[in-house]
Amino acid sequence: MKKLSQHIEETLSDYLDGVLEPTRREAFEQLLRQDIELQKRLEALQAADSLLKQSTTEQPSKNFTSTVMSRLDQYPLRSGLSIRNGILLLVGVVVVMTTAVILLAAGAFNDTATLDLNSLTVTQRYIRQTLPSIAIDGKLMVNIIVLLNLALAFVVLDRAVLKPWFQRRMGTN
Amino acid sequence: MTNLLDLAIIDRVLAGEQNLYAELVNRYKSYAYTIALKILQNRPEAEEAAQDAFIKAFHHLSGFNRQSKFSTWFYRIVFNTAISYKRKHRHQFQSIDTAVIEYHQEADVTLEKNDKQRYLQQAMAKLNEADRTALTLFYMQEFSLEEISEIMSMQANTVKVRIHRARQRVADELKNILQKEALTL
Repeated sequence: MKKLSQHIEETLSDYLDGVLEPTRREAFEQLLRQDIELQKRLEALQAADSLLKQSTTEQPSKNFTSTVMSRLDQYPLRSGLSIRNGILLLVGVVVVMTTAVILLAAGAFNDTATLDLNSLTVTQRYIRQTLPSIAIDGKLMVNIIVLLNLALAFVVLDRAVLKPWFQRRMGTN
Repeated sequence: MTNLLDLAIIDRVLAGEQNLYAELVNRYKSYAYTIALKILQNRPEAEEAAQDAFIKAFHHLSGFNRQSKFSTWFYRIVFNTAISYKRKHRHQFQSIDTAVIEYHQEADVTLEKNDKQRYLQQAMAKLNEADRTALTLFYMQEFSLEEISEIMSMQANTVKVRIHRARQRVADELKNILQKEALTL
């Protein structure tokens, strides 16, 4: 059987669903009468359509409703993070924070670096104006990182460790 | 009418009559399970996903804005829950119960009907989950293209193309299956 164009396939589908406008339907029916391949394709689609119409809905288990009703109070169903992974993530965040604080205290970030934008090859090639130099305060940046980590640590502690743990305890009592 | 009944039940559930939620579960469990099963192709997982969808819907009932039908809103939750199950469990083995062919020693008519449904299931299994779901929802005779597009978070035109393409593929697969069956006779 020759392969029909996608346009013809779409028209066949619209014809099958009965959504072709009357003028287009008449023209298509005329085409159908002349083309045996098209008739065969329509028959195949009609067979699939008929089978699909006969397909029934599936039935879940008999205790489906009672299981749902008994589980209504268990929410959230499951955190995206297990307690174990939550603790691991928390440990990682704490390690990063501690390292950063130790390095800060040792004065590792006390120097202020300056980024001269005019010395970059890209800016030299495309920008003719003189650009300002940017002073980068290492201590300030690390402080911001430590604060963000602290916020993340609290969120992880709450969502992935404390909440599931308390829910589990309430569930067992 | 059904939606008005649903809304009345929802109001009472929100007012504290939690047990009435069982009525909604009973009304929609078959379709919810069918949608989940079409996506997951695994009965235990589909059952769990459908149950989770009901529980999620219960906890977000106050957020249901009543602009669409409850069923449309709820089936969207089922669809999203089943899709996220599929992503989580992609690496796992497919349950053998999807491959089990139910055999009943019943009348010939029933046998023939079972065979046809088995062929249809085999053909549907070749589709991707979005096409399979769009086709299933379309043939549930319950939803318009707009509602299906709302459930699947897709444009109505995209859904129409998916349905047409899926049905064409099913027709092709059915033809292949029947040819193979004829050769083995």
